[in-house]
Formats: sequence, structure tokens, C-alpha cells
Amino acid sequence: MEPEVRRELLTRFDSRLNVAMRMYLDTCARCGVCIRSCHVYASMPELKYSAVHRAEVIRKLFKRYFKVQGRVWTSLGDSADLTDDMVETIYQAAYSCTGCRRCMVHCPFGIDTQMIMSIAKLLLIAGGREPKVLSMLADMSIQKGKATAETRANYARAIEQLRDEVLSRWREAHGEKVVPLDVQDANILYVALAGKHSIVPAAAIMNAAGEKWSLSYYEAVNFGAFLGNPEKTRLIAQRIIDEATRLRVREVSICECGTAYRVMRHMMGALPFRVTSFTEVIARYLREGRITLARNRIKGRITYHDPCQLARNGGVIEEPRYIFSQMTDDFVEMQPNRTENWCCGGGGGLVAIGEKDFRMRSGRVKADQIKAVSPDIVSTACENCHSQLTDIVGHYTINTNVRFLSDMVAESLQDPLAPVRL
Amino acid sequence: MQDRIYSFVMVPMVYAALGVFLAGVIVRGMKVLLAPRQHTTLQIFPAPRHPRLRALADTFLLPTVRTDRPALWFCLMLFHGALVLLVIGHIELMLGIRALQIFPHQGFLGGGLVGLVLTIALCFFLVSRFRTPYREISVPEDYFLLLLLLVTVLTGSHMSWASYISPAGFDIAVQSHREYLSSLLVLRPSVPAGIAGSPHYVLVALHIFFANCFLMFLPFSKIVHTFFALPLNLIRRGGLYGARSTPGTADAL
Repeated sequence: MEPEVRRELLTRFDSRLNVAMRMYLDTCARCGVCIRSCHVYASMPELKYSAVHRAEVIRKLFKRYFKVQGRVWTSLGDSADLTDDMVETIYQAAYSCTGCRRCMVHCPFGIDTQMIMSIAKLLLIAGGREPKVLSMLADMSIQKGKATAETRANYARAIEQLRDEVLSRWREAHGEKVVPLDVQDANILYVALAGKHSIVPAAAIMNAAGEKWSLSYYEAVNFGAFLGNPEKTRLIAQRIIDEATRLRVREVSICECGTAYRVMRHMMGALPFRVTSFTEVIARYLREGRITLARNRIKGRITYHDPCQLARNGGVIEEPRYIFSQMTDDFVEMQPNRTENWCCGGGGGLVAIGEKDFRMRSGRVKADQIKAVSPDIVSTACENCHSQLTDIVGHYTINTNVRFLSDMVAESLQDPLAPVRL
Repeated sequence: MQDRIYSFVMVPMVYAALGVFLAGVIVRGMKVLLAPRQHTTLQIFPAPRHPRLRALADTFLLPTVRTDRPALWFCLMLFHGALVLLVIGHIELMLGIRALQIFPHQGFLGGGLVGLVLTIALCFFLVSRFRTPYREISVPEDYFLLLLLLVTVLTGSHMSWASYISPAGFDIAVQSHREYLSSLLVLRPSVPAGIAGSPHYVLVALHIFFANCFLMFLPFSKIVHTFFALPLNLIRRGGLYGARSTPGTADAL
């Protein structure tokens, strides 16, 4: 590796050394408690797939270039030089980690491996070794955001075509538009993904609740976060913040996308509006009696997969369970669940990159979890998890359907005054 | 020559070790404190009702270790408990704390039992490090620290253990240890004849030597978890940088 390149990478490394990161890198006792907490290791017991190994890859560089010990007595801490081979190791560590943070739950010090992997991802970007598809998707997302003024009319026309489909789920709209755009002073700005599956059920639910809402022109997914690029993450999130501020909405509700929710809710600091996941909005409507669900309209045993970024890392844990308690008498929990839930294996950008072989092998523990409860439906509230779970049930030939929670709620919508549904 | 080496270990090296220890801890601490702030939350959900209490429990009771590696947890609890007694014991040896005589004893509270517990725990940690998968994640520092601690504890504990083995006891009186340690404390260092004239002097000097090495190495090693464990657990439980605490950027992804 050229000395200038190394210098540049180490400058990037240094830029990430804040209070928390320094303590994370200084503290590990290598007790190994985190080893078995990683779903990849649980599925494929190789140490390179353990949290401690991944963190050590970065920690060895930290010791070598930022600590006295690594400079004076290199071999003592197994410090490592930043070489081209090391960059390959960094890639393997960064992109075998989904950033689910289950290891952080088990670590006696609470070391955040995802945070440490943010250094790995930054080094890969600086060295031009990041997955190009993620860079491309992040750039496209930013470009699309810049060109909104020109594409607004087309977008509005495309959304108008969803009218019949939304009305087939719920017979009326709250306002004139079935899927309203640009509504000033709306209560909710709903940020969807590219795809009607993310818009139609949500529109039906909010219309059923009589909500004054508006659909965002921007898609929620944040490829900058998957890529590990803080600037692009901020740029992608900022356009939604700007739109919400312009419309003076009270609340921004993020569709079923765990990472988009976590970025907006927990990563962007104080905002002039409330940030919720759409799952929270549904639970609130049910609690307030603004919507009711036809109990057991959806037949069969249902289980729920907690998306890591929504549950363990986002705090949306009991809301989906409350929703199921209103929807069905045949709900069963996978074990473990909630904070301890196994990651599906699709996070951290792995679904977007592809990596199907790795994802399927690392998803074995999730497949076992599903098989153990023999559900007819596996529900979830995250696009990445949905894609990964769909691949998993196909790969492991599990006889079950994977469905979005919002889609199931929309299908179960019932008017308490006029129970006959159109 | 031998006496000069012993004298060097017993006096100047002790001050040097303390100096390196203090300077190292301060520099290490300042590096963390002066680093840019974390702007976003890193907590795990659900947020506990009392984040600070939960962080204290995480730090001192190690609940996840108890669940995942019960034998390690047992030894860790014994080890850290004994370490506390060891520190108290050395302070008592230096100053003589009457209140501790609520449990009548000579030397320091726990005596040879503290050393025995530490030795057993350290042996467990060391043996664990040679077993898969812990061998593969260990680095030389892990073995070095454990061996350094083990020899420090063994050379220190022999002073208590000798009393149990021989009716004549260990020929260095508690008073001599107190004189030596107090003289260091008041910056009028001297090695009393009770120590310098003893045939066990070599073992005392070795104990001090290893303890000096440990002190000097501590700030540059993973043992800084002594200082960082609580803040890190506060971060995990939301007691530090809790959800939506400060405006910031997406710096955790």
C-alpha cells in the first residue's frame, strides 16, 4: 500500500475516534462472551464470524497507529500494519456483520461492534474497496432527491394510479386524494419505500383512521447508512427533514424499514417534529379506537420477527405484539425474541449487495427458529428482513408465508359502524 | 550489587512505577475526555426504568457473563472481590485501620485466603485462554498480564502462606511491612532491617518488582476497563447519550 494512501486511511480512522469509540477500542478483555451471540457464528461456527474477531481487526490497527503499546511492543497486542491484505480482512469483517448489535447485549462492557465496523466501512470507502452497488445506490438516491422538482408531476401521476388499489383496502379517503401529497400542516408525513407495497396498505390504514397525512416525495431507505458513509447518510435523511419542515408536519412516520427508522429517530439529533415507525402509528390508532381489526380474518398461526434496527436498536418492541393481540388468537413467539432476537442475516446492506449464498448460510439459526414454531405466516416490519426471510423460507423449504405487518393490518381493517367491507 | 538491585526495586522503582501509572492513566483518560463527543444514542432497547442502576448492575454483577459462561462468571466475581480486599489490605498494611479489626486478624483482612482465591481465579483464566475458541481470540498481552498478575500474587501471598506452614511463621513482622510502606507514603523511603535482613528479602523484592511492572503496564493495557466499564455500560443503558439527548449527525453508522 502506498504511504499516501495509508496516511489518508489513517486520517479517516482518526476522524472516527470520539469518546465512545476510544473506549470501545480500549476496553475489550477478549472474554469471548460475544462469540455465540452472533447469528453468523451460530449458523457457521468460524471465529472470523464472531464479534470479537471483527472488532479485533480494527483494534489491531488502533493499537499499531494510535497507541503507545502498539508502537513500542507491536507483538504484545498483536498489532497489525495497514496493508492491502489487511484491507481484505477489513472487508470480510465489515460485510459479514449485519450491524444487528446482538453482541452488544451480551458483552459485559456493552461494546458496540457495529460502531467499530463503521471505521471498517469508512476505511473501505476511502480505499475504494466498498461494495460498489451500495455506493451506486446511495448516489442514485441523492441524485433522485436533487431532481425532485422535475419529477414531482410524474410521481404524482404514478401515485394517482394507486387509487383503486388503496380503495380496495379501505373504501374512502380522508381528504380529496386517496394518497395525498404536499399537504401543508399535515399531522403525519409518511415516508415510504420505492414500491406500492410500502404505500398502499399504509394509505388504507391512515385513511381508515381519518388521518390528515401526506406522502413524502422521497424514499425512506438510506443506502448511505448501509455504506457507512456519514455524509451520504445525512444528505439522504436531510431531504426528508427539509420536506417535513417545509410542510410543517407534526410527525414523520417511517415505513417498514428498520435502518431508515433508526437513522431518522436516533441518529439525526433533535428535530422539529416527532419521528415514529409506522408500526407505532398503527398501535396508536388501535389504542385510540381510530381503527379496528376484524379478529382472525387472517387465518393460521402467526409469528413475528423483530427487525434488529426497529426493536433492539430502535425501541419498537411491544407495539407489534399489541397489534397482533388485536388481530389474531393464534400468535406465537419465536424464541428468543425482542432484545435477544436473532438477526435474520439481511441487514448491514447485505440484501442490497446480494451475497445470497452467505446470507442463506448465516440465516440457518433464523430458519431453525422459524421451524420450531411452525407458523403459517412470518410477519415482520422491515423491508430488508422481509426480503431475507422470503429467501430463507425458500432456501430451507419452510412452508410459511412472509408478510409485512402493515399489509396484514390493512387486510384486517374493519369499520366498527359499518362492518360490511367493500 | 545484589543489595543495590534490591534497593532499586524497593524504592526508586516503586516511585517510577507510580509515576508511570499516574501519568499513563491521566494521559489515557484525557485522550478519551478530549475526544469529540458522541452525538447520537448508542443505547440498547428497551430502555430500563433506571438506566444508571442498571449500568451499575451490569458493571459489578456481570449478568450476561453469568448466563453465557457461568464458570467464568464465578471466577470473575471471586477475582474482583478478592482484588478489592487486596487493595484494602495493602492500605491497611500501610496505615493500620482499626475499624477492620471488627474481624480480628493479623496483617491484612483475608490474609492468605485472598491470595489463594486470586491464584485459583488467575489459574482458571489462564487455562481458559488455552482452550478453543478462547485461545484463538487471545493475544500475547492476555497471557502476559495473567502471568504477571500470577507471579505478583504468588510472591506476595507466600508471606501469608508461610505463616500457616511453619510454626515459626514468616520471619518478617507485619510491623516491618508497615514501616516500609509508610516510609514510601511519607516520602522518606527506607527498607527496615526486618525486611532487608530477612532470608525472604529476595521474595519480597520480587513481589515489589512484579507489582511495579504491573502498575507501569496497566495504563497501556486492556485493564483500563477498570475505568471504562461503567461509562460504557451507561452508554448501553442510555444513562449516557440517551435517546435524543443532543443534536448531531449520523455518526454511528
